[in-house]
Amino acid sequence: MNKRKWKQAQVILTFLIIPVGLLILFTYYPFGKMVQFSFYNMKYIGPRKFVGFKNYIQIFKREDILRTLLLSLYYMAGAVIQVFLALYLATIFCFKVKAENFWKGFIFFPYLINGIAIGFIFKFFYTRGFVLDTVLQAIGFNPNDLPYWLKDQSINNWSLVYSSVWRYLGSTMVLFLGAMMSVDSTLYEAASIDGANKWQTFWHIILPSIKTIVTLNVILAITGSLSAFEPPFVITSGANGTGTFFVVMNDIAHTSQKVGLASAMAVFLLVIIFIAKFIQDAIFRFLFRNAGTDIDDREFKKQRKREEKARMQMHRGGR
Amino acid sequence: MAAAAVAASLVACGSSPSAGTEPGTAGSEASGNSGNAGNGGTADTADNNYTSVVLGETGKDIKTKIKILTHRTDMVGDDYSGKSWKDYVAEFNKIYPEITVEFEAITDYAEDSLLRLQGGDWGDIMMIPAIDASELSNYFMPYGTVDQMKSAIRFATDKQYDGICYGVPSTGNAQGVLYNKAVFEKAGITTLPKTPEEFINDLTLIKEKTDAIPLYTNYAAGWTMGAWDAYIAGTATGDATYMNQKLAHTANPFADPGDGSHAYNVYKVLYDAVAKGLIEDDYSTTDWEGSKGMLNRGEIGTMVLGSWAYSQMQAAGDKPEDIGYMSFPITVNGKQYATAGPDYAFGINKDASDENRMASLLFVKWMTNESGYSYNEGGIPINAEDDKYPDLYAAFDGVEYVSDEPALAGEEDLKDTLNSDSELSINSGGDKKVQAIIEHASNGDMTFDQIMDSWNKAWTEAQELNGVDTDN
Repeated sequence: MNKRKWKQAQVILTFLIIPVGLLILFTYYPFGKMVQFSFYNMKYIGPRKFVGFKNYIQIFKREDILRTLLLSLYYMAGAVIQVFLALYLATIFCFKVKAENFWKGFIFFPYLINGIAIGFIFKFFYTRGFVLDTVLQAIGFNPNDLPYWLKDQSINNWSLVYSSVWRYLGSTMVLFLGAMMSVDSTLYEAASIDGANKWQTFWHIILPSIKTIVTLNVILAITGSLSAFEPPFVITSGANGTGTFFVVMNDIAHTSQKVGLASAMAVFLLVIIFIAKFIQDAIFRFLFRNAGTDIDDREFKKQRKREEKARMQMHRGGR
Repeated sequence: MAAAAVAASLVACGSSPSAGTEPGTAGSEASGNSGNAGNGGTADTADNNYTSVVLGETGKDIKTKIKILTHRTDMVGDDYSGKSWKDYVAEFNKIYPEITVEFEAITDYAEDSLLRLQGGDWGDIMMIPAIDASELSNYFMPYGTVDQMKSAIRFATDKQYDGICYGVPSTGNAQGVLYNKAVFEKAGITTLPKTPEEFINDLTLIKEKTDAIPLYTNYAAGWTMGAWDAYIAGTATGDATYMNQKLAHTANPFADPGDGSHAYNVYKVLYDAVAKGLIEDDYSTTDWEGSKGMLNRGEIGTMVLGSWAYSQMQAAGDKPEDIGYMSFPITVNGKQYATAGPDYAFGINKDASDENRMASLLFVKWMTNESGYSYNEGGIPINAEDDKYPDLYAAFDGVEYVSDEPALAGEEDLKDTLNSDSELSINSGGDKKVQAIIEHASNGDMTFDQIMDSWNKAWTEAQELNGVDTDN
């Protein structure tokens, strides 16, 4: 018995050692090192000086760093739009659609393109007098009234957010779609026999079944928007008021060689993401507390009550 | 970068004794082997340095094969429009028929050459990659003392350590302004601008009289903005020690000196041009590759870039003859200066055989002294006595070339430390701060003096943090 257990352990260990080893070597060990670096005043090579929490204090003292966090709000707004739009499209695909696979592929396609390539696509897309301007001109806009998509600081962040939504919409949608597919189709049939309209089917059957995926997508979208990097890095190189937290961090680490400060920023961002996750968890618990039960939406509450009454009466009558 | 220098200085402590004895060791080795060379002393590299070898006389009977590692991949091919490596070797073989020269070109030279250098098996001559000065003696044969070399070549201090020269630059570049001659003519500009005011006036003329963009900033590319930093030292001060020695000790280096020179007036050209609408319509979407053709076709009036860009602009369209190069429009005490710097330098493998070292030395001397390579490639001549500048520098008449002196001993990493602590990264990738000038000028949310004040503040804080003495 003991021998067998030992053998079992051996097998488990041999199978685990490679993935866990890799995980530790490439994720946890570097992460630990980064946390360590965040307490030092250091460059990549050269002497290191322990400075305690000075780097962290500096983050809070520096307006230019803190202000970049506000830029995340743009991306979060984009993320909300992205999740809702993806949910909407996925639901449509759940019902009958002509040339379904073509449209799915059509929407998913941007996700397959390399992020750097997308950056370059949008750089030209937004260039004055290029793609976007030409299209808008063709549908009747006066070219002189069109804004400078990347130059004007009041809209250039929206331009970047759009490119990010465009890219990730497909993947979010496919995640939703996958979850929706796994819902037992008899439920849909039952619902349609009961006379449920599409909205009711969505609210009472689809949404409760894909709750976890919704949560996952929202977490991905929020962490993604806090750590937005590729669009501003490639399209505007973080200039002109588009430098997100990550872009500024990259600059501080590589151009200014303040490795300690940049590491502290990374740890700081991690803490923010944790906080965002907890807040979002609490909100979802609140929102979904009634999902799937009969009494959840005020608009339908009264109607449902009436139905229930009628049903009860029927039951009573039936007895 | 700074950190590298620190590490280097640590390494240097360990290796400097051997560095000091290196020439001697090479000599004893050579004299021991001189019998093998057949003719007594010809391969003795200790006696023969760059200045003492005479082309066509020294080492006439050397029969060997040398290999050169180069960054010029284009020059290996037969379709190179200029003079290819093959052509140069053919000419070299007229004097030294017994020396076979082979080339290996590497595309990603800056990175790969470092690996090859560590590997050791790279051949006899290479373009010295970015290694610390203190490391030079571990890999490369000395050409002679800097004092000796100064009389023979330009940029002798480029690859020196402890007064010994380990690299001879292949060619030199100067910092100036690219312009389109046809556009200037159309705008009625007959004399090239010499001061910032004249330059801004000329840009205004271009805007009024032509359809061309007076000054194309190439804002979006980023590095093209950081390139402005290259003009604040020699060009704007006429002082070869400014960039690497004085800047770190200057209090408020970005303040207005009041005489139309120094960094303040360099960046002010940019700010004023933007504020007056003399740049492209939408700077946020500029296109570097496209800008080359635009300058060539006369859709752009001027671009502020080093002379290395000249041939690229010429090659980008049908009108290479329209591309001109002028010095940066700034005058210091009535005189114009231009920062000039060396390109990649030839280094000779110190571990190669005596014959190969001698052959390599002869080839390097021939390349830099007689081949006309520098001239053909549009560069500043390396031979100190050669004053034949390519046409590109026609407008540099009366302009004095200034090449930056290296930092003082013990302060090699000071500027880099200040660059890091101030986050200004002058001449080392500080693109963002120059981009910000354009943004503020365009949005009008900060005056030029406010920007310069904020830079001064950052610089001063960095100086205080590191306990640097300033000049007042």
